[in-house]
Amino acid sequence: MADHQPTGTLAGKSAVITGGGRGIGRAIAERYIQAGAAVVCCARSERPDDYPSEAHWLKADVSCMEDIKRLRSTVEGLFGELSILVNNAGMQIEKTILETTDQDWQTLMGVNAFGVFACSRELIPLMHKGGVIINMGSISGNIADPCLAIYNASKAFVHGLTRSIAVDHGPGIRCNAISPGWIMTEMAHAAFSVAKDPEKARQDALARHPAGRFGKPSDIAELATWLASDAASFATGQCYTLDGGLTAASPLHPGLE
Amino acid sequence: MNASKDRPLRDRVAVVTGGCGGIGQAICERLRKEGAEVYAADLVRQTHPDVKYLEHDVTCEQSAIDLMQHMQSHHDRIDILVNAAGIEIEKTIEETTLDEWNRIFAINVTGTFLTSKYALALMRKTGGSIINFGSYDGFIADPRLSAYCATKGAVHALTRAMACDHGPEKIRVNAICPGFIDTPMLKGFFGEGSDSERYYEAAREVHPIRRYGTPEDVANLVFWLAGDEAGYATGQLWVLDGGLTAQVQQMRL
Repeated sequence: MADHQPTGTLAGKSAVITGGGRGIGRAIAERYIQAGAAVVCCARSERPDDYPSEAHWLKADVSCMEDIKRLRSTVEGLFGELSILVNNAGMQIEKTILETTDQDWQTLMGVNAFGVFACSRELIPLMHKGGVIINMGSISGNIADPCLAIYNASKAFVHGLTRSIAVDHGPGIRCNAISPGWIMTEMAHAAFSVAKDPEKARQDALARHPAGRFGKPSDIAELATWLASDAASFATGQCYTLDGGLTAASPLHPGLE
Repeated sequence: MNASKDRPLRDRVAVVTGGCGGIGQAICERLRKEGAEVYAADLVRQTHPDVKYLEHDVTCEQSAIDLMQHMQSHHDRIDILVNAAGIEIEKTIEETTLDEWNRIFAINVTGTFLTSKYALALMRKTGGSIINFGSYDGFIADPRLSAYCATKGAVHALTRAMACDHGPEKIRVNAICPGFIDTPMLKGFFGEGSDSERYYEAAREVHPIRRYGTPEDVANLVFWLAGDEAGYATGQLWVLDGGLTAQVQQMRL
């Protein structure tokens, strides 16, 4: 990252990114560093060797309150306060409710719902000079993806909590959610690999995107950077869809093969 | 005629524009069956014997005035107005001529405006229910239906605005937003080509409920919105689409 000149829209700001180790979270971390922010990445895994050296790394699980307390004291020790929280950590379980076990519920809701709630509750008090929270919602929080029952429901929870935080903690805290569509991450590649004809499935999915391509983690990172910046100072309480036009189109596409 | 006293719409007077079309006829017959005095207001007569017919061009202001004068002299009120007249044009905006654009807005939007405007004086006498026709296409787009999508978005906004303005006069205003209803227009949408039957079958299977809607499905909702059981329902857009738009696009995996 050293050869990138910071654009500075986040200069002087501190940020926590949960699930920041890979995929969308990592793209946000890299973009925030480029924009001048001091970044703490928290993830359940070990720090990858090629992770940006500017970022602080904390191995932590957002479904565990003790880990969140550690995150809080780490941030307090490093910066004394916090400007930006990105609740990006999330997981999916590919099941209908009939197949979903109590343990599945605990695991998924622990990360996707409790984690967002608990990180926000513990870190808002560090936002002494005001702050920004960005949650990762999903287009599936509005309309259903098949066989992702509690994932879809957990994202609707995120949308609801986003509005509540904005309403209860404005004007000091702004809170928005980003609802990505199909972003090309390991998770999406895995979805195509189980198709009968992965290449055909990919072409079909592509044809449903008015933008003519799938999303990249950096697409989400750009919006997360704008939302975190002072340029977005009137944006709060919203769930912004960024999906290449996928959900602007009807699910029917008779011309498709 | 079974003049039973328990028919919920007995003594109600209903006007249905586009009442001779596929969905319009089903609406007229249902309202009639539930006891209402029903007038199908349309360009061409094609009605059930128990449904009265009035010639009406929804794009023409004088036609709306004449229609309401007729209703005033015969009933002095209207309880239910269903704005069901509508057309679609299967084109992108680049292919759509200004005349075509103006024509679809004249029928789908101006028609709803004009008929409602002149019905209000007769509806506020006893309160009533106006039911507009939006579409799921007013929320999300189907390819090559650009002007149609735009007219339905306009009807959605008009529905909310009318509900705000006339709620205090005990006039409820709602819109029904159908998905794919099995009518001749639907077959037309899938074209004449050799693949049309295949598309018709494939699109049906995308619906969670695995069938297309019927005019009777729509008439069921019109009946409910028209009646007193929907007395608190106003200003809303009622999507009726077999679950089609509850789902993310269905990738063929």
